[in-house]
Amino acid sequence: MIRALQWLSIALMWGFALSLMVLVPWLVVVAARWHDALNWSLAISLVMLPVYLTVAGVLTYVFVGLQRGRDDRSSP
Amino acid sequence: MSEPTPTAPVGLDEDLYRPIEQTGRGFYSMAAFFLAVFAFGVYQYIRQLRFGLGVTGMNQPVTWGFYIINFVFFIGISHAGTLISAILRLTQAEWRRPITRMAEVITAIVLAIGGLHPIIDLGRPDRLLNVFKWGRLQSPLLWDVMSITAYFAASTVYLYLPLIPDIARLRDRGTRPQWLYRFLSWNWQDTPQQRKVLHNAMNLLMILVIPVAVSVHTVISYIFAMTLEAGWHSTIFGPYFVAGAIFSGIAALMVVMIVFRKVYHLERYLKPIHFSNLAKLLLVMSIVWFYLTFSEYLTGFFGNEPAELDVLMTKISGPYAFPFWLMVFVNFVVPVALLSRKKTRSIPVILFVSVGIVVGMWIERLIIVVPSLAVPYVEFPQHAYWPSIAEIGIFAGAIAAFCLGFMVFAKFFPLICIWEIEEGRSEALEESVERFRSYLPDPPREDALKEGRP
Repeated sequence: MIRALQWLSIALMWGFALSLMVLVPWLVVVAARWHDALNWSLAISLVMLPVYLTVAGVLTYVFVGLQRGRDDRSSP
Repeated sequence: MSEPTPTAPVGLDEDLYRPIEQTGRGFYSMAAFFLAVFAFGVYQYIRQLRFGLGVTGMNQPVTWGFYIINFVFFIGISHAGTLISAILRLTQAEWRRPITRMAEVITAIVLAIGGLHPIIDLGRPDRLLNVFKWGRLQSPLLWDVMSITAYFAASTVYLYLPLIPDIARLRDRGTRPQWLYRFLSWNWQDTPQQRKVLHNAMNLLMILVIPVAVSVHTVISYIFAMTLEAGWHSTIFGPYFVAGAIFSGIAALMVVMIVFRKVYHLERYLKPIHFSNLAKLLLVMSIVWFYLTFSEYLTGFFGNEPAELDVLMTKISGPYAFPFWLMVFVNFVVPVALLSRKKTRSIPVILFVSVGIVVGMWIERLIIVVPSLAVPYVEFPQHAYWPSIAEIGIFAGAIAAFCLGFMVFAKFFPLICIWEIEEGRSEALEESVERFRSYLPDPPREDALKEGRP
């Protein structure tokens, strides 16, 4: 149960990061459709997205790394 | 699931587990008090939702009041944590060990509270959904949404990762609720591999959060600076806001440290040297803040542009003169007078100065937000702004939410990073000596010695 909740929390973090990955390009599309400073929209989205992806990546690295790095000799 | 091996040595740091494992009557009475204040704030917000923004003191032309002031103020306080903690960790400042956790908790809580304020400022918060459908990426308001969300995500993770070994200690001690500690500890067993993973992740995050933290407050300043409003349209607003944020953040951190040191008897951990070092940092930031304030107002004054002068005079000799000079007094005169002398740099004085700075920095946000709107660019009747009971209630509720959030955190997790303290005892001394040796000049080469050269 606890293991399932832990994996669910990773899934939620990625869900959050990926939903932003969808939102930001959508807003770029909106800017293009309305002829509304497309260059600025592209520049800002290029700055934003790597931050979310890095945070989600770091969390996954830690969670997976902690599972792999545990001492299996203590397992029953 | 496998049973983890014990990681919790019993003994030296029992004081840090006590607030989690024993809850006194004082905790519940304080929690009830803060909960009541918070409930009053929620009631005022529901009232505002029902009757609209008419229940606030905001009106044309002052359409930004307490909520935006508090938004800038709370986000500023958030720089206490991640930024200070990341800089101290990155520079391997050994005195950081008992401080970092509290700083990181402040960040996470005030970011959550501050980030909600622009939504509270909306008469129709349901329209927030339009940001997702038709948001304009080139609007500084949307930059704020994005940067604050990124900062919140990064700083929450940055708070959580160093917490994992301590959560594992609580799990191994059998502290309740066990399910929570088992869930959050991610099978931490303190193996070399796990330590390596955690250190790698923390190293990456501490580098990432510094530019993110700086960018957040710069972007907040852009809400003002990107307009052509007199008193706002300034190129130094970015660094001015960042410096002010770090300044108020350190002061808030000191207040929290002093209060919890007293309440939880943490005198063994939070020693006068920690306060003295932070006080020196506060003094430096006070001077930097004054320099930026002076530069900001001098350029406005020297330009002699009528609209700019109107706003400036409203601040220094008009209806906002009292808060303006009070701000200068508590943010600059008092810290420089009291913190620059070793004799007066005692903990009670530092508390007095820090509380003054927190109040002073709130006034600074008021001085930035309101007068520029109260003296409009175009022909329009001037309007004095007074907050209503709704705004005061919600502000009080936000402060209560902060206190309550901090208390609840302290009830479940140690306020001082236990594993970092243990690491400090066992490894840091040798490491520091080694590092100090590496700073010293190398010994002269043998051939140079033979020739008699230095």
